[in-house]
This record gives sequence, C-alpha cells and structure tokens, in this order.
Amino acid sequence: MLERRLKWLAGLVLIWGALIFSKLVSLQALHHRQYAELARSRQEQVIRILAPRGTILDRTGAPLAMSVPTQAVIVNPQKVPDLGVAADILSMVLAMNRAELYARLEAARESGRGYFLVKRKAAWEEAQRLRGMRFDWIEISSGNERHYPNGPLAAHILGGVDFAEKGNAGIEKSLEGDLEGKPGEERILTDVKGRGVDSVEEWEPKPGAALTLTIDERLQFVAERELAAQAEAKGAHSGSVVVMDPRNGDILAMASYPPYDPNLPPGPGDNPEARLNHATSVPFEPGSVFKVITLAAALETTRLRPETMIDCGRGSITLFGRTIHEAHGGYGVISMAQVLAHSSNVGAIKIGMTVGEARMNEYVRRFGFGEKTGIPLPAESRGRVRKLERWSKVSLPSISIGQEVSVTGLQLAQAASIVADGGLLVRPRLILKKGGQAVEAPAPVRVIQAETAIAMRQMMEGVVMPGGTGYPEARLEGYSVAGKTGSAQIFDVAAKHYTHTYNGSFIGFAPLNNPAIVVVVTLNGTHGNLGFGGRAAAPVFHTVATEALRILDVPKDLPDEPPPTQVADNSAERDDLAIADLGSPGPNILEEGEEGAPASAPEGGPTVPDFTGKSMRVVLAEAAERGLLVIPAGSGVARLQFPPAGAALRQGERIRVRFSR
Amino acid sequence: MATMPAYLGKAADAEASVAPAVARPGNDPYRLRPLPLDDVLFYSKRIDNSRLVRAADPRARGACWNAVGAAAVLLVLLAGTLVPSLAGRLEGYKLEALKGEERRLLDERRTLELQEAELLSPDRMTRVAERQNLVAPKPGQVVHLNGAAANGDFALVK
Repeated sequence: MLERRLKWLAGLVLIWGALIFSKLVSLQALHHRQYAELARSRQEQVIRILAPRGTILDRTGAPLAMSVPTQAVIVNPQKVPDLGVAADILSMVLAMNRAELYARLEAARESGRGYFLVKRKAAWEEAQRLRGMRFDWIEISSGNERHYPNGPLAAHILGGVDFAEKGNAGIEKSLEGDLEGKPGEERILTDVKGRGVDSVEEWEPKPGAALTLTIDERLQFVAERELAAQAEAKGAHSGSVVVMDPRNGDILAMASYPPYDPNLPPGPGDNPEARLNHATSVPFEPGSVFKVITLAAALETTRLRPETMIDCGRGSITLFGRTIHEAHGGYGVISMAQVLAHSSNVGAIKIGMTVGEARMNEYVRRFGFGEKTGIPLPAESRGRVRKLERWSKVSLPSISIGQEVSVTGLQLAQAASIVADGGLLVRPRLILKKGGQAVEAPAPVRVIQAETAIAMRQMMEGVVMPGGTGYPEARLEGYSVAGKTGSAQIFDVAAKHYTHTYNGSFIGFAPLNNPAIVVVVTLNGTHGNLGFGGRAAAPVFHTVATEALRILDVPKDLPDEPPPTQVADNSAERDDLAIADLGSPGPNILEEGEEGAPASAPEGGPTVPDFTGKSMRVVLAEAAERGLLVIPAGSGVARLQFPPAGAALRQGERIRVRFSR
Repeated sequence: MATMPAYLGKAADAEASVAPAVARPGNDPYRLRPLPLDDVLFYSKRIDNSRLVRAADPRARGACWNAVGAAAVLLVLLAGTLVPSLAGRLEGYKLEALKGEERRLLDERRTLELQEAELLSPDRMTRVAERQNLVAPKPGQVVHLNGAAANGDFALVK
C-alpha cells in the first residue's frame, strides 16, 4: 500500500518536473529565436551616426563652407495625451512662448497633422532632456545643416545645397561625391531605463573629404567689393573679376556680380541673374582685348614685328560692304605696338588680314577659346568660335577686333596667362587639396614661342603707358604692368544691331618680367565714354592687382614714386600729342654733361627727338636712322632723356636715355 | 500492544471484513454487539530519555564544516560569475556616457568653429577696422620677419 502511494507521489513529482523541463526546452530551444528577437528589439537600439559633409576651405585654411549638427524637436499632435501639459513641458525645456506653442499645437491637431516641427535647432542639452522623458509623441531628429560663414563671399564658386544637404550648384554640386559623408550605424544595448550598456559599431561613419580651394578669401573679398562698387557706379547689370596665378593656374579670386547669399534659399523676388557665375557661364563679345590674340598670331605666323608700321588710315575701313570705325579718330601710320596701345581697330583688322583665316582660327583655338577650361564648376560655357568653314567674308576682320566670337572671363584670364607665362598654357584650377592630399597642377602646354610672349608683354605695357588706353587707371605704384582694354558694343538680338552699351573689360598682369598675377575685369552694360574698358574696368584692376601683389608679397620692380607725368584731361583721346610738350623734371643724374663734350651747339644742327614712351628697340632704330648716338640705361620704355626733346644737339654729343618698366 | 501498525492493520482488517451484524450467542439476547476496535486500547506510555546521551560522532562535525565550506565555495563561484558581469555593466554605462560626451564635444567644436569663422570673416574684419580708423597696408609696407608665408604672424610695419 505504502509503496503504491510512494510510487504515485514519485510519479506526480516526475510529471511536474517533466512539465517544467518541457517548458524550458520550449523556451530555450524551440522558441529561442523568437524570444531572443523580442529581447533584442526591446534591449537593442540601432542608431544612425551621421557623418558631416566635407568642409570647404580657402588656400589659407579659412572655412568657406561647413556643416554643423542640429537637433530638431518634432511632435505628433495626434498622439499627445494633453496639449496643455505638452505645451508646458516643451516651452519650459525649449525656452519657447507657452501660449503661442499651445495655439500651434492645437491648430496642428485640429488639422489632422501627424507631424509638427516644434524647434528646428534645439541645443544638445535640451534634446537630451526631452529624450530622457521618453514620451512616444516626441521625436528628436539629429541632422547636419550647411553654413557659409562669410555670407555671399565666393557664393558663385561654392554654390549651395538643398534641404537634403545635396549640392545643387557650384563646387558643392560638381564635387558632391567627395564632399558627401557616408553615415554609419551602431547597435546599442540598453537597460530597462534606456541607458546604453554596450555598443557595437556596425559601420563606421565616413565624413566627407575636406576641400582646400586655390581661392584666397581676402583677395576674393576685395575683388567682390570693388566689382560691386564699380558696377553700381557705372550702371552695369553684371560683371566678373578673375585673378589667376599664371605659373600654376591657381585661381586666387573669382567674383561675379550681382551677388547672392547661399545661406538664404531662393525667394520669389530674387534676381535670377544673381545665381549665374558670370566669369564662367555667361560668354560675351570681348572686343578690343581680343587684339592680343590677333597680334600674337601675327608675330608667330607673319613677318610683322612690334616696330612694323601699319597704315591705319583716317579712322575707318570698309571691307565687304561693312565699315568699321576707330573708337577715337584716325591714327595714320603707326607701329604695331602703337596699334595695340591705342587699340586701333583699323590696324588690328589689317594685321588680322595679314594673318589669314586659317591661322587666325588656329591661334584662337590654341589660346583656349571655343572650348571649356575644364574647371570643376557646373554649367561652364565654352563660349563660341565659329568653325572655319562657317566663316563669312567679314568674319576675319570681325574676329580680329574681338567681335563675332564670344568668350568667358575665365577664358580671357587663361589666354592672358599664356602671354604672362612665356607662351605656356596652364589650365586654371580651383582645387588645391582634396582630403589633405595636394592636387597636382596641370602640365603646361606651349602655345606660342617665348619670344612672342615677351614681345607681346612689351607691347601690352604700352597700353598702360602715357598714350595708351589703359593709362593712368591701370598703372600700379611700384610695379610694372601690362594689359589691354576692351570696349565691346553689346549686340541687341531683338533689334539686330549694336547698341551704345558696352562690355568694358581690362586684362592685365604684373609685374612685367615675371608676372605673379593675371587679373581680368569685365563690366557688362556700361554706357558712354565712362563705360569704356579703360575707365570702367581698369580702376577695378588697379585696386584688385595692388591688393593681390601685397597679399602675395611680390617684390616691387619699380621705384615707389613713378616718374611724374601729366595727362591732358580728355576722356576720349589719349594720343601722344597731349603729353609731348611736358618739361623734364628736376635735376637728374642724366642732366650732368658728358666729359669732353663740345661747348656749344652749332646753329642749324640736328634737334633731339622725343623718345619718351618708346621701347629701346624703337629708340635705337630711330636714332640709327637719324644718325644719332644714344646711350641707353636700364630696360623697358624710355622715361627720361637728356638733352630733352627739341633741344639742339651739339656735334658728337650723345643722347642719354633712361629706360624703365 | 496498541502501536500504529497494529492499529493500521486492525483498521484495514476491520474495513475489509465488514460483515453484517452477527447474531448474539443464544444465551445472552440482550448483550450488545461489540463496537469496532472495542478491544483496542490506547494508552500513553511515558518514556524517560533524560539519561539518554547522544554518542559522540566526530564525522558529523567534519560534515558540518564541509557543508559550510561547500557553501562558501558556491558563494564565491556565484560571486565570481555575477560580479564581473555587474562590473562590466557599470563600466558599460560609463563608457556609453563617455562616447555620448565625445560626440557632443565634437559637435560643439564644429559649432564653435563656425562661430569663429563668422567672427573672422573679411567683411566683419573690414567693418571693425574702419571703426578703429585702420587702413590696409600698402604693398611692401609689411615685412614678415619669420620669412614664412604671409599669415600675419611676426610682421614689421615700415
């Protein structure tokens, strides 16, 4: 009996044990995955780690564009149990107006909205306090926001980003792949209170690469300021400035007018032209600045030389039914150098006709016109150069004076750099470093011979000398300068004729012998004589080039005080006659007589010609022609002479001429 | 004797052999039938165990200490299993807090860098300079003494 009872008891205990064991097996083995998933879903959180977008810096390391973290507080009005309490909590934590917040929450709930942005940029502490409260109707969204700390500075280069922080213009768009950060993911094991206990990084976040541009922030600021001031003063509707290092193609500044602020989204009343980069995307007819290419092609392919005399007639030329006039009267017979200095249209056309269509077309393209420069900015225009087979009879004369061709400011800077860099084409570049790694400068390509480039530099110096169209606005104190002005009439497409508004341009570089900077200034839509390149664009060149040479610490190559020269106050003409009667300055070393010189000059003897403003080659040629003896000193252009012009020359007396740049 | 087994045995027998009432012997018609277990008498027997002394068992004492030792070892093992886990958890809290703090400081640094860039913008510097009646130096007026790139350090103004 007892044994039976014991057996029954044992059986019951066994059954009970078996039940427990089977439950264990069920929990630990059969449904293990299900319960493990459940536990993981409650204990683990997957957090997305945002990677910041790459910072864009200028060449000195100053940030031009950077992303900063933001915490947005979002509420689901439909899930809020008590709007009053919610408004109390949120207004206290986020330091907001309680009544206003309550009204907005109420309106959002009544309109059926499930998403309501309470505060877009909450402080980290505020966000953490709200996270700790663990309300299911509050969501804290972490993100990054792009900022441009200098406002409109370099906006046309930097571009901007959209609401998803994707580049939609400028460098932000063209180098989106490098700038974009790759977010990471992390699994966090939390306790019952939601505190992190352990974490495992699934994917490491990869921040976007930092880009260092070739732009100098200080120079960019000066370029934009001067361009804006001059555009407003001259009534120009747009304009651009490009500052470039001709030796390596670094773009030190690229300004476009009108400006805009990339921190502000586009508004309905904004000027659509403001977002165009006029230096790269808006081509224009360059006008007289293009004569540099014409003359360079002539030096390369013909027997024409700077001293070759060109008959510029009485101020106009008629070719194939089209009459082209000079800007300021007729020049008669002048040298090729003077054709450039005075910007003679007739002279340039005759030089261009000598070059010929095929060679002109070849050199226009060699100088980079008609194709993109390759700069990493979207929407770069290649300009327009007609194919040779589409040239008409008037194309060659038109192109010789910079019409019937459209170019961008950057293309002009690239072309000027060829002359400045001894005939070598160096592609402009904007990126100095990518992610800390230096980007190699492009290899130069020879376009014209070094001798041609040197001759062009000397001729272009004449433009800023007395009598040149760029004098005195383009002169720099302490530095020799070479340049060319341009005043192209704007063609009215609707009316199909040229108007009296201009694209006033100036291209220049300094110093002359080893140029450190090339500056191209363009103002579009100027009016009258004061809208010409020499009056409108050259002053901007002066200020920007002065500042650039100071920032780059370029040593001076001229004395600080240039030899005093006076110019007749005539805005329309700048011919040599206006300055030929000037007396010489105070006592100078050249005024000391030569030992053994004859005491007096015979009557009826030769008079000393005026060499002022002429190059050494011209002076020596002219002296040889007249049988005069000249002692040159220095190099460049004749500044002082003794005896002075017009004085009677004693027999055997030599003329001392001082040259400088 | 009236012991429990006897009682249980009797009870079993009594239950097993439940029979109808047997008629009394003929010679006593008025005698009641016996009640069940009528002949079982319980009585309490006093047992004096005061002079009983437990015999000394040296092995029991050792067993007691063994049990104590085993319990202690078990406790140490248990603690050795739980304490590292607890310590790990506490350190995990600290580590996660430090990670969060690091991220917060990095974010704060970026915000400060932005503020610094805004304060040093060329436009603001120009306005501040104008208020202080300062002008930009002329080319060559500033001589950089350290010979490095012109970054504004150690410059002499002529």
